[in-house]
Amino acid sequence: MAKTSTGAAMSLPREVQSKPEPKDQPSSSSPSPTDQFSLLNIWLILLAPKLLVAVGYHSTDFDVHRNWLAITHNLPLSQWYVEATSQWTLDYPPFFAYFEWFLSQLVPAPVKADGCLQIVPVGNYGLPTIYFQRATVIASELVLFVALQWFINTCQLYLSKKRAYAIAASLALSPGLMLIDHIHFQYNGMMYGILVLMLNCARLDQHLMCGFWFAVLLCFKHIYLYLAPAVFVYLLSGYCLSLKYDNKKSLVNNVVGLIQWTNCLKLGLVVASVFTVAFGPFAYYGVLPQLFSRLFPFSRGLTHAYWAPNIWAIYLFVDRVLIQVYKSVPLSRTILQRVFQFNAGLLSNPDMLNKSTRGIVGDIEFFILPTITPQITFILTLFYQIMALIPLFFQPNYKRFVGALVLCGYASFLFGWHVHEKAILIVIFPITFLVCNSKSLLAPFNLLVSCGYVSLFPLIFTPGEWIFKVTFTFMWFVIFYVAFNAVVKLPKNVGGSSGIMFHRLTQLYILGLVPLILFTSMMDLFESKYEFLRKLEFLKLMLISVYTALGIISSWNGFSWLYFVDETLW
Amino acid sequence: MAAAGGAKPSSSKKSKKAVLNKSRKGNLHVFQDAPIYDLLKYFDRAPDQWAARYILIFSTIILKSAVGLGSYLGEGQLPIHGDFEAQRHWMEITNHLPVSQWYFFDLEYWGLDYPPLTAYHSYIFGKLGLFLNWSWFALNDSRGIENPGIKYFMRFLVIISDFIVYGPALIHVLSLIGKRFNMNRIDHIVFTAAFLCQPGLILIDNGHFQYNSVMLGLFLFAVAELIRENYILASIWFVLAINFKQMALYYAPFIFTYILANMFYNYYDVSKSYRQLIRSFNFAKVFLVGIAVLLTQVVLLLPFIWISFENGFTFDILRQIVIRVFPFQRGLFEDKVANFWCTTNLVIKYRELFTLPQLTRLLLLLTLASIIPPNLLIAWKLLMNKKFTKNSTHRIVILLLGFAITSWGFFLFSFQVHEKSVLVPLMPTLLLALTRDRFDLVLIQWIINVTSFSMYPLLKKDNLVLQYFTCLLVSNWIMGALNVKKNTLMIPKDSLFWKLIIVSSYVAMLTYHISDQFLAPPARYPDLWLILNTTISFAYFGIFWLWLLYRAYVLN
Repeated sequence: MAKTSTGAAMSLPREVQSKPEPKDQPSSSSPSPTDQFSLLNIWLILLAPKLLVAVGYHSTDFDVHRNWLAITHNLPLSQWYVEATSQWTLDYPPFFAYFEWFLSQLVPAPVKADGCLQIVPVGNYGLPTIYFQRATVIASELVLFVALQWFINTCQLYLSKKRAYAIAASLALSPGLMLIDHIHFQYNGMMYGILVLMLNCARLDQHLMCGFWFAVLLCFKHIYLYLAPAVFVYLLSGYCLSLKYDNKKSLVNNVVGLIQWTNCLKLGLVVASVFTVAFGPFAYYGVLPQLFSRLFPFSRGLTHAYWAPNIWAIYLFVDRVLIQVYKSVPLSRTILQRVFQFNAGLLSNPDMLNKSTRGIVGDIEFFILPTITPQITFILTLFYQIMALIPLFFQPNYKRFVGALVLCGYASFLFGWHVHEKAILIVIFPITFLVCNSKSLLAPFNLLVSCGYVSLFPLIFTPGEWIFKVTFTFMWFVIFYVAFNAVVKLPKNVGGSSGIMFHRLTQLYILGLVPLILFTSMMDLFESKYEFLRKLEFLKLMLISVYTALGIISSWNGFSWLYFVDETLW
Repeated sequence: MAAAGGAKPSSSKKSKKAVLNKSRKGNLHVFQDAPIYDLLKYFDRAPDQWAARYILIFSTIILKSAVGLGSYLGEGQLPIHGDFEAQRHWMEITNHLPVSQWYFFDLEYWGLDYPPLTAYHSYIFGKLGLFLNWSWFALNDSRGIENPGIKYFMRFLVIISDFIVYGPALIHVLSLIGKRFNMNRIDHIVFTAAFLCQPGLILIDNGHFQYNSVMLGLFLFAVAELIRENYILASIWFVLAINFKQMALYYAPFIFTYILANMFYNYYDVSKSYRQLIRSFNFAKVFLVGIAVLLTQVVLLLPFIWISFENGFTFDILRQIVIRVFPFQRGLFEDKVANFWCTTNLVIKYRELFTLPQLTRLLLLLTLASIIPPNLLIAWKLLMNKKFTKNSTHRIVILLLGFAITSWGFFLFSFQVHEKSVLVPLMPTLLLALTRDRFDLVLIQWIINVTSFSMYPLLKKDNLVLQYFTCLLVSNWIMGALNVKKNTLMIPKDSLFWKLIIVSSYVAMLTYHISDQFLAPPARYPDLWLILNTTISFAYFGIFWLWLLYRAYVLN
């Protein structure tokens, strides 16, 4: 890319543009800065695709949320986490349940008549319910837009506003939200809106509010527990402790002064009150055990039917390759047997093998490689999270904090137990807030978003949405590839061939997604024509998840490198 | 790539051009405040502008595919079906039957009634469909087939056809006109997006299901050639357009007038005496154009002609094509449409006053009366007025005005008009937006809204109400009429008359939508809301047509 080398020269022609824009100073010309960086227009135009896809495909998550509406509307609070008519029981924390209760109060009569609020094993609903629930997603996403607009408005300088605008627009237009929320059906927009509120509080050094919003977020959706270590360390080190040793005072005084007692108390109060509001009523009714058993089910498998693009996808892939090797190369059998000490009897059972290679989650997932237990995943996740937290503890500033959040997200996504591909947003959202800080961050960022968003494609498998999802994601990538390149800060130490090599390689890898998508789509297209393609359904998913997993792991490596090594960034 | 030359003219050049086009001074940054700039901010450098253009073009595909998720006419209503089934059926019969049978086979069930080019188009795409899934187009067995596979395959074909013909044609014409009018490059990219997202066309093609964009694209190629004064190529493109969809005939009188008026050598030098003028007529060129038209038509009909010869010089097939394509035996007014006859029919019951032949003559007379005078006027201006020299921008304006006036005349006064036919006059009208200033832009955005409104009853039948409102939102957003920030292009600032007209029209449309949504029509007049719609639309179409006439008249 020519842009990497001629970055400094790039800014020159910008100055002679037809649009006279003052640089590096608060805008004083006629359009007021808030006007110029308003997300309203983007919100308005995004309504169009959101509304249009409303009538298309939706997943079972739609019925899940409909069922929650019904439960919270028809039953007393004590029954919410006990009721089990449908298999889609309420398994989000209390604030989300309150939110569903609030929505259920808004259900108009025609939608009620449509069967929106019936507690039944399988929902029986029509277009009115669909319109209503889709509308609630669109409306609740306003939280995200308000949060992002606040983020832009609290930037002072013109240039940083410009950067903030690129960040905000990229998140507002995120294909992830479009695919997961507006087609698949979930309420991530609102959740990530709260996350953005938290991040901006951290940016403005409002630690108390940061803690507050994070507590609220946790009470909405507990997947954000994965980010909790970073938030905890950040608030602990940046707000509750003061790591300055004062020689004039005695040791005891220093130890006492180490802890900022009033701050601790304030933060503790805020967080505790949020949790009391959330869990108090359920504790009062004595249903907390049921609640927690719903929130943390441990009966699920390591991976989903479609492997989320993480370490385990690679691990499983290696296992499947070894099975093929074992089956087709007789010589290898003893070696494999020696090395991995597996139970060869399982491999001779063709029925079991078939089921497993098709991706159906059974009791046995691994045949040759050692089995992964929840403990292993937990330890790995925690290890990598702690690694990220150490620099944060000593340097509790905003950038470090966001970096730690990103790494916590990465660790949980890559090593976690039963991770959904949708969880990639937990990495993408925080990393976007960092990307404008240095050009060197662009490579891992681009790799992450391209692979992350492409890995969401199998989620929307219907033919009608194919063009939509592909073009939307592609357009998003092109727009923000150019936009971030245009606004990003240049690193102080330009040069360094390894960085450029990494950059080039990532670009190649991203380009490789195009044939990947084409190839897998062709397999879809010819499925009805050629019988054998239907048997290869699993191969197609495996290809996507392994390819994107490699990309995401590389982006994690790249980002970790910058986080731990490049001190100038932080 | 064309965009490589996208560097903006230097300031000295700009000022020179500005002097040349004093009247268009305000046009340089029509879309300066348009909301789309929020997204294109990072593409305002000349080397990035080509990216902006492709982004917008691809974004229209997003919109089109999303509209395609909605239903088409007749989806889920088994015995009725609609254009979707007709198109699918044509793909089926053209692939399974010999050419000689195409226009004869089972005419009761969606028999082929479009010109040959559509038949070939169906044939080619039918081949592709048969390759992908044989059962979608099995002869007779596939009738009324409904599944996601065939639906989205057909949707895809519309998007592809549109992408191959309409998109390039539009870009070509817009860059031609944009260059002549020295238009800001980003503006002209925004225009491309706006016209690609024109709500009426998207809703009818990608929602209701038709291939209008192909015909319009072929017509746009003809317009481009006319601007480049390449009349032979223009007429070939135009014959192709007619052979794709006979609706293109709305443009025929004017293209005839325009080409004929251009067949004089140096007319403004010799126009002192009429004899000299006649003597300057270029017969050879006219002959060439005629030959080109004839040859193209013959080539397009070649398979049919071939069979006619094989069958011993019986021209049944050709006659059958003409009968199928021009069904004169159908009624005079088809549905309730926003044209002169359907509207005045409410007051004057024509069918009681006149016999059918009389009525036909009356219709013909009025249609001609609406078309011939403006055509003559324009021809006269082209011949006699020195302002309309070759390469002048006036010529482009009058060309577009001529197409617009003639086709609006047809739409408003001829018989057998469909509500969808309004897309034909709308096309040249849209191009007019490039030629003057913001005021025209306001009017044209307004007429886009009115035309979409006039198709609302049809779209409601298709279950495309949600799509209708969303497409209107997109179109108005792109054109800057719906700008949250400021400078809305919804209502003109300077002209009280137009302010009144436009505000009243929006109030009327709103009233209609509210009453249509929430009130049942009185039992005595079940069609009351429909009539309200056509009357409102006709009134504003009429005013707009008069304005176009006025513009053509005052253009000097």
